[in-house]
Amino acid sequence: MIALQVAIVALVLVVAWAVAIWNRLVTLRNRYANAFAQIDVQLKRRYDLIPNLVETAKGYLAHERETLQAVIAARGAALDSLRAAAAAPGTAAAMQGLAGAESALGAALGRVFALAERYPELKADVQMRRLAEELTSTENRVAFARQHYNDAATEYNTARQVFPASLLAGAFGHGTPAALLSYEPGIAAAPVLGLAT
Amino acid sequence: MNFFESQDAARRRTLGLVLLFGAAVVGTVLGVQAVVALILLANRDLPRHGQGHAPDTTLVFVATGLAVLAVVVGGSLYKSAQLRRGGRALAEQLGGVHLHGGNADEDGRRLLNVVEEMALASGLPVPDVYVLPDEQGVNAFAAGFTTGDAVLGITAGAVRLLDREQLQGVVAHEFSHILNGDMSLNLRLIGWVHGLLVIGLLGQIILRSLRYARGGGKKGGGLALIVAIGLALLVLGFVGMFFANLIKAAVSRQREYLADAAAVQFTRNPGGLAGALKRIGSLAGGGQLRAPAAALVSHMLLAESRGDWFASHPPLEERIRRLEPGWDGRYPPLPTRARPAPPPSAGPDTEEE
Repeated sequence: MIALQVAIVALVLVVAWAVAIWNRLVTLRNRYANAFAQIDVQLKRRYDLIPNLVETAKGYLAHERETLQAVIAARGAALDSLRAAAAAPGTAAAMQGLAGAESALGAALGRVFALAERYPELKADVQMRRLAEELTSTENRVAFARQHYNDAATEYNTARQVFPASLLAGAFGHGTPAALLSYEPGIAAAPVLGLAT
Repeated sequence: MNFFESQDAARRRTLGLVLLFGAAVVGTVLGVQAVVALILLANRDLPRHGQGHAPDTTLVFVATGLAVLAVVVGGSLYKSAQLRRGGRALAEQLGGVHLHGGNADEDGRRLLNVVEEMALASGLPVPDVYVLPDEQGVNAFAAGFTTGDAVLGITAGAVRLLDREQLQGVVAHEFSHILNGDMSLNLRLIGWVHGLLVIGLLGQIILRSLRYARGGGKKGGGLALIVAIGLALLVLGFVGMFFANLIKAAVSRQREYLADAAAVQFTRNPGGLAGALKRIGSLAGGGQLRAPAAALVSHMLLAESRGDWFASHPPLEERIRRLEPGWDGRYPPLPTRARPAPPPSAGPDTEEE
């Protein structure tokens, strides 16, 4: 009798333990998936800001049309790459294309802001200052969203690798670790914006 | 600074201190119970009204134990209910003005952007932001008891005097308080301290009431009994409260180290928060708040000026040194570029939330 009771109690404990591991892994996976979605949102936000920036700068930089057109072209290319990457997330080619397009865009933007340094009226323009602040913030958001994704992915990976969860992770459908985003200068690094403090 | 390790260490120390706190509360309850029960038992031979038989020993212990426990738990629940207010109500009591896209000037926009950046870095929802327009010191606080209800308050001085990276550090520090549930932890500790206070107050009331009872027809033994019980409650209650307060302050200081380390995790930039703390050190008024209700949020502030055993924050120098081990101990002077005091960006007339 007593042996049966002990067996039942042990069984209940084991099941409760397995449920706890299951729930923790699911929670952590959803968290890092959501963190990944945030990166996407912030990249789009950045692309939406750029036409406004070019529109504002146009009035002051009439003689620098080439630089502005380069920004628009780079933005278009980056947006296309993002769509391609979103259609096939995780594929190496798509991610590399996005990284390249992003770094080209960052360089083109950097040239605009370097130019702006030479035009005091443009630097003083309220709208321009506002856009510069928004762009700085968006660059930061992209970086912080990536960082949060990496933190969340690391937490998930640790949770599925530690003993005793490692015994069950595979059986529960958590066999593969989450991929960490490596440092890609084009996405992570913000161009130096001389206007924003 | 290894920010993950520092956070783990602060969490471990918090756990130890909270256990110690629990031991202090339980110890006080048991001490009061034992003393009161022994006093009652020692006096059971006294002549009493009604039937003369003495009460059962176990019964006395259980009854006094339950009575003391009821007093402490009741006092604790009462205080918690009194303080449990939404973050918005608290921020408004401090004179905070809700900052949003509609009433933000250039500095305000920057602050809102920084808050959204830190929300992304910490994975928390974006809290409402309140600026304290009359406070020229550098300080900030988080208030509210769930992540959904949390608000972030910041002084006008901080918005004006800190640069973008410093502002990030400050906001990230407050996000850590929200993420780690420090507001509700502190609320519970305050509640239990109040429970012990009620024991002491009860003793005080008993002793005071004797003054009026002295002329009554009490027998000498009965009076001594009541005096002994009153004294026991008074002394043990206040001694227990003293130690509980001491431990509570130590818990609060650990949570500050935790929040500093988490701020570095969110910003990956120890220089930002260190710069903001140095700015506080170089300001004459430091981080002092002038609002009379400031004591309500003392444990949730970014920095606090006192430095004794009951301080809710570690010393500024020690915090900066943990962030920047090579710091030379000097506070940089205020930048000359400091912009003029901004116009009241969010006057009461624009506040229609």
